Amino acid sequence: MSTEGDLLHTVTADNISDQRRRLGKAMVWGSAGLCAALAIWQMMYETGRVASGFETWRPILYAYVLWAFALCAAQVIVNGEKGKRTLFVLPAALFVISLVVFPLLFALYISFTDWNLASPNGPQPNGWDNMVQMWNDGFYWNALKNMVYYVLAVSVEYVIAFGLALLLNAQIRARKFFRVVFLLPLMLSPVAVSWMIGKSMLEVRFGPISRLIRELGFEPSFFGNPEIARFMIMAMDAWTFIPFMMIMLLAGLQALPSEVIEASKVDGASGWQSFKEVIFPLMLPVSVTAVVIRIIFKLKLADVIINVTSGGPGGATDSVTSFIFREYRDRSNVGYGTLLAMVYLVLIVIFVTLLLKLVSRWMERPA
Amino acid sequence: MKVELYNYIRAAQKMNRREMLKGTAAVGALAMMPKTGMADGHGNVRAEILKIPGVGAGSPTDSDWQKVGEMCLGATKGNVAEGEFEGVELTFMGLNNQNLHNFLFRGFLKPWEAYTGAKINWIDLAQADYNARLQQSIATGTVDFDIIEMGAPFEGDVLGKGLASEMPDWVKEQIDMDDYVDYLKAPVGTWDGKTYRVSIDGDCHTFAYRKDYFGPDGIGGAEVPTTWQEINQVSKDLVGKEDPLTGLPAHGYLDPLKGWGGFGFYFLENRASAYAKHPNSPAWLFEPDTMKPMVNNPAWVQAIQDVMDLIDAGAYPTDQINADPGTTAFQQFLAGTGSMLMWWGDVGSSARTSDTSVVGDVVGFGVNPASDRVYNAQAGAWEDTRNEAPNMAYIGWGVYVMATVEGDEKKKKAAWSAAAHLGGKDLSLWASAYPSGFQPYRNSHFQFEEWEEAGYDRAYVEDYLGSNADSYNHPNAAIEPRIPGIFQYYSVAEDELAKGYAGQYGSAQETADAIAAAWEEITDQIGRDSQIAVYKASLGL
Repeated sequence: MSTEGDLLHTVTADNISDQRRRLGKAMVWGSAGLCAALAIWQMMYETGRVASGFETWRPILYAYVLWAFALCAAQVIVNGEKGKRTLFVLPAALFVISLVVFPLLFALYISFTDWNLASPNGPQPNGWDNMVQMWNDGFYWNALKNMVYYVLAVSVEYVIAFGLALLLNAQIRARKFFRVVFLLPLMLSPVAVSWMIGKSMLEVRFGPISRLIRELGFEPSFFGNPEIARFMIMAMDAWTFIPFMMIMLLAGLQALPSEVIEASKVDGASGWQSFKEVIFPLMLPVSVTAVVIRIIFKLKLADVIINVTSGGPGGATDSVTSFIFREYRDRSNVGYGTLLAMVYLVLIVIFVTLLLKLVSRWMERPA
Repeated sequence: MKVELYNYIRAAQKMNRREMLKGTAAVGALAMMPKTGMADGHGNVRAEILKIPGVGAGSPTDSDWQKVGEMCLGATKGNVAEGEFEGVELTFMGLNNQNLHNFLFRGFLKPWEAYTGAKINWIDLAQADYNARLQQSIATGTVDFDIIEMGAPFEGDVLGKGLASEMPDWVKEQIDMDDYVDYLKAPVGTWDGKTYRVSIDGDCHTFAYRKDYFGPDGIGGAEVPTTWQEINQVSKDLVGKEDPLTGLPAHGYLDPLKGWGGFGFYFLENRASAYAKHPNSPAWLFEPDTMKPMVNNPAWVQAIQDVMDLIDAGAYPTDQINADPGTTAFQQFLAGTGSMLMWWGDVGSSARTSDTSVVGDVVGFGVNPASDRVYNAQAGAWEDTRNEAPNMAYIGWGVYVMATVEGDEKKKKAAWSAAAHLGGKDLSLWASAYPSGFQPYRNSHFQFEEWEEAGYDRAYVEDYLGSNADSYNHPNAAIEPRIPGIFQYYSVAEDELAKGYAGQYGSAQETADAIAAAWEEITDQIGRDSQIAVYKASLGL
């Protein structure tokens, strides 16, 4: 290592010999070569081009781990202390690449195959067939359309959550108690909510809510009509997650500078004016964050639907995730199911990027 | 007895002459006894195990299962020496539904482990995870279990791919396969003429009805309907009437209109089998030579139309569109809503024993209803003859030994011995009489006096078990194809049916055509030629 230049973060000056450098590079390239050679060999074995090979891909995984260790060790061998600094980040980066990037690439490959777990031939690349199938798949487009309704429902949830946050921020009796009580639904698993509410309280024959409605002279039906069924799913999901938005907004409200609100009162602003002109604008960054996170949650909506309606009646409540779940789990249609998931991922990334771009001007607190 | 033998026994058993003579006298006396005397001894085990814990004495516990397992070890001891499997470890994959299945197997096999010296490791799965776990193991080549509890519909996936071990002859003798009800005999449990399955369960859908709806003053008519045409008529006629038990609106037949992970399709099959399962062919879902779906032929369309007619007539309870089979059985029929239902046998025992059932005293049973006419797919025309075709939905659970044990004779014998113990003749009687997750499936299970002695009500048992026995041994039983991915076909059909029932298709024919198109896609994806070969093999063609 040079003893010139930026020495601020340097503890020792390493004098690394050329032989040591060569050893480090040889470790990296040797292990990489071994890993690549084994992978190519195994691929040829699996495609029938060579007669012998490993039973599984596990040895290639071991070779990859060996390369990762060699790479990390080589940083110190080649670069000395600078390499030690690299080691603070490199293992984590390799870990992320192993657990995120590789599976993603594998999923991308799978999504262009006809892999059905029941097929004796395993995954066979099938070009754009899955994409064409998706394009003509009424169930997928129907689920995407439902997602639009579900996402729009977030706006209503936001209004309710904001109202509750304002109430819990006010000087009301038993405020702490109510804060905990209002948070309880968030602590419940959506699966529990779907069974306790969707399949028990709303059960048509003996559910208590059904009985009440019958007592009032009406015939209860919560999941028979497409619109009502969709609304009930939205309501159950909202009941679970409104507390999440509420707690974020409440935190935002408590962080507001009291002087500004007091100043508006001194200036003679009414309660509504104070909210409209001061509190709401100041709360915009928190609001936008809460809404965006809630939308991301909403895009994953599946558990309540799977448990309560299975997407029915006639697909009226189906979400993209619940549809993929059926395609993947009930039908073992791994190739097509993965493609649907990948397309949905791309749609989500585009949608959220645009959304963040759109709302970025409100993310900064007004001066 | 020869002298040298006498001397050998004396030396080996360390017994004196007097004891020896006592023993030979006993053997001689035993040999002179008529065969019924032997059977009585065997019968005593059956009578004794049925007393554990006794009808009305609460649910059996682990200690009961162990006692039953211990008392039924006789057959194992005939083929396996004590400690013979010392050092062998086996992995068993099965279900943990309602704390049954694997939970019972653990208890049953504990005395077997103690006797043989083998050790069993357990993989417990929820029913919903079962299919995915099995398919993934097969597809990724990671079969990490030696013994599996599996339904016959998966035989195409497992046996068709050569993943199981063929049953040795000594196992066939130990479990007395001739005692199986007819439909569980070959080709079920076999593949290419080889036997693989130890049956531990039988499945069929039977007809359950409310006796208080029918009779001279019954609101449903004097006679219990026996055809789907009559059932639809009664269901329509009941609209606007009051249930005699609950005072709520009366309803007729309960079709589940919501999917159930593929299992919901069995319930359309119940209707369709009477129309579509012609006695001249075992095929009623696909044409065996082409795998062309038959699901959009006039017979199936009629079945779908029947359901649509009842929807239009307002004959179902409110929100039926959101009722899956579990709802129709346990939240509707047993709770007093509706008067007719098709389900597996356990609805019969639940009617009497479940805390939530209110129909225990008014429930009657029969076989799958018939039809006034049947569609002859080969001739392409309806025939005006009465047709009955009980639906053997799911064909029951079995125990299979995987090919992972091949190459290690000791391990293989141990695995088969464990499987044979679970599928033993006596042990299975106990399992069919007490909560286990399994139905009766042997002819010997239908000896009503055994049930009566154990404390069951004779008339009820005859009615309930009789409907099962009649279905099992029916000459025109509709047996599902054991082809790979069969539940994929059912699952996609459920989605299309849901659209049809919600009015999103123009007609029953359009709905059926959509199902057929989706089935063709699945067949092409899995591989048409391989499916045809497997389908024919599964039908025994």
